[in-house]
Amino acid sequence: MNEKNVEKIERRTEEDGVIFMSIKNEEEKESVSTDKDITILAIESSCDETAAAVVRNGREVLSNIISSQIALHTIYGGVVPEIASRKHVEKINGCVRAALSEAGLKLEDIDAIAVTYGPGLVGALLVGVSEAKALSFVTGKPLVGVHHIEGHICANFIEDKSLEPPFMCLVASGGHSHLVYVKDYGEYDIIGQTRDDAAGEAFDKVARAIGLGYPGGPKVDAAAREGNPDAIHFPRAKTTEKSYDFSFSGLKSAVLNYLNQAEMKGEEVNKNDVAASFQKAVVDVLTEHTMEAAAEYGCKKIAIAGGVASNTALRERLEQECNNRGYTFYRPSPVLCTDNAAMIGAAGYYEYLKGSRSGMDLNAVPNLPLGNRERRYHGKS
Amino acid sequence: MKILALDTSGLVCSVAVMEDDRLLSEFSIQHKITHSELLLPMMEEIKKRIALDLNTIDAVAVSAGPGSFTGLRIGCATAKGLCLAMDKPLVAVPTLDAMAYQFYGSENVICPMMDARRNQVYTGIYTFVPEKEDEKHFETYFSMKTIKAQAAMAVEDIAEELNNIGKTVVLLGDGIPVYRDKLEKLLKVNYIVAPAHMNRQRASALAALAQIYLRDGKTVDADSFSPEYLRASQAEREAAEKKAGGDAQKASENKTDKKNKKGNDSIYIRDLKAEDITAAAQLEAVSLGSEAWSEKQLLEASVLDDTVYLVAEKAGNVVGLCGVRNISGEGEITNVSVASECRGRGIAYDMLEKLLLRGRAIGCGDFTLEVRAGNVAARGLYEKLGFVNEGARPGFYDGPKEDAIIYWKRNSTND
Repeated sequence: MNEKNVEKIERRTEEDGVIFMSIKNEEEKESVSTDKDITILAIESSCDETAAAVVRNGREVLSNIISSQIALHTIYGGVVPEIASRKHVEKINGCVRAALSEAGLKLEDIDAIAVTYGPGLVGALLVGVSEAKALSFVTGKPLVGVHHIEGHICANFIEDKSLEPPFMCLVASGGHSHLVYVKDYGEYDIIGQTRDDAAGEAFDKVARAIGLGYPGGPKVDAAAREGNPDAIHFPRAKTTEKSYDFSFSGLKSAVLNYLNQAEMKGEEVNKNDVAASFQKAVVDVLTEHTMEAAAEYGCKKIAIAGGVASNTALRERLEQECNNRGYTFYRPSPVLCTDNAAMIGAAGYYEYLKGSRSGMDLNAVPNLPLGNRERRYHGKS
Repeated sequence: MKILALDTSGLVCSVAVMEDDRLLSEFSIQHKITHSELLLPMMEEIKKRIALDLNTIDAVAVSAGPGSFTGLRIGCATAKGLCLAMDKPLVAVPTLDAMAYQFYGSENVICPMMDARRNQVYTGIYTFVPEKEDEKHFETYFSMKTIKAQAAMAVEDIAEELNNIGKTVVLLGDGIPVYRDKLEKLLKVNYIVAPAHMNRQRASALAALAQIYLRDGKTVDADSFSPEYLRASQAEREAAEKKAGGDAQKASENKTDKKNKKGNDSIYIRDLKAEDITAAAQLEAVSLGSEAWSEKQLLEASVLDDTVYLVAEKAGNVVGLCGVRNISGEGEITNVSVASECRGRGIAYDMLEKLLLRGRAIGCGDFTLEVRAGNVAARGLYEKLGFVNEGARPGFYDGPKEDAIIYWKRNSTND
């Protein structure tokens, strides 16, 4: 090893704790400021999509690669964690390479690596986390652990470049139903959440019960378009006064009871009507809570995020309610509603600006809480 | 050659950096299984302590399975990321081979066992064969030979194999404490239980074996690499079982049957078992006609120590078959067939890719095979796998009369 290298390594060990900065980008480190473009390589593998993206300044998507496994899991009627995790290992390098090449960049052109570390399936998350750490270790680029749901919320920043906090965001996906008040970049207050099943989970279960199969969301959405939403009245769950929490298990049971009774009576069930009526009940609850919360917080900007946000009925209804009240409605396009890495790049960018950094001991956290999660900061934000 | 090796396949998280005959650093932790939190900080520590310049690394070596599914994924995803970022080749060493290599030079039979749950172990049987360099010196070199390539099997079965070999055996691995009482009763041969400094995975042994792989050009493409789990996921197993059960009682048309009818398209590649022989022979007969082997031929060939036979299973049915035989270091690939209704889905490619990996594990350096000159699809496949047309045997095949093209995949050609 030549003298120059030794010197550089000594300099590095002196500033222990800055271990994520490599010899290579030592010059760049000093010039990091918000004026400079920040390019983030983002990786997402929390469920059944292996994804990588390159995002500039949190809003500009240079590439967004998604390798979906939906077809594979359809056989089993849902995501099989072990199969999903195995597929991630197979696909991860290909996705990262494609994201870089589509962006026309090399790994050394990247400023930081963002990765989803929770919530999600632990085996699946670990693949992305391990890959991201290895890339960070070799290149010395800072590593930023990102919350999956915060990523979904930040998809709105990509969709609408003018959106700025504060705003109210309804997050609804397979595993989550949250009403989040986005106070500032990277600051999330949960003001309501599901007490039992997530909205997407209810969609999946109902889809299975009426024989529509997996994935439930799009299937119910499609069937509902052919059905009458007022054909059957399913109960809307009432949680205690002044609470923005949701509950969907009662609604799900009501649908199952309805189907059972019909079967016992030997009556023919109109699947499309069931789908439409069920969907209307879900949409009613989500919309009412969101609008009430917006009024209380004096929020005139409403956004939606997560897989369920691509549900047509929900989007139309929220948009209509927003128009009635003179609110602005924000929604990511469908490709940004499903799991993707571009949204992780957006969330990662704001985390990066705040100085949030992850160490080489970053682990997957399957039930990572939203909002008040622990962050490690480095340097000035 | 400098190798960065990592093993997270079992209870130990282990990293080593080895340069030729110098182990520059080794770091192992067997405490709690939090490999995800340990692996990179351990590497970072090594990098710092030995002032490692990652650009000087020639290859990354990883324990390529079997092992804990999660552990394998952490190790393999990390190794893939390292290779991508460093632009270096990956050396994938079968987990049990690397474990056995700790006993280099031993005259005993080496049998590592990892607990695979459900009364099974991931195991293999190895031995070291002396190769004297020349007559003037007394130094003896050894090469590791695989008597039984790694597989998931019942403790009873591996004990029986060890008894049949009849030699003193060295036992190691986390399966030993779990099944020690059982082994005590089952083993009829002398056995040695390895002490703590050599009874688990060690990245140094992995690195040493990887050096031989690298010298012989046995690297794999890091991007497409995934570990050898030796077992399908539970969901796949259940689906396969259900389908098999569903077929048997197709008469009873009930709700669960409807579900099963949707079918299971996933393909599972595994070792040929005795109970597959009939199905495999039938598949051969349909695909290869008069050249097909009989059940007896297939069975006899498949149980030899120097062969590996793999089948592709789809929903409990054998839909693909291939085999390799190690003939003094050259792997002769035989019996490649895929059911006609399953062709064009990459099954043969996946199967052969695995077969090459497994073939290397039993000591095959180069691989060769013959194919009908007119079989364009097969020839394309072999060429995609890196096989090179090196000649022909005119009029080798009958009915119809056709040339055989001889393909070779040499050591020096990259994967």
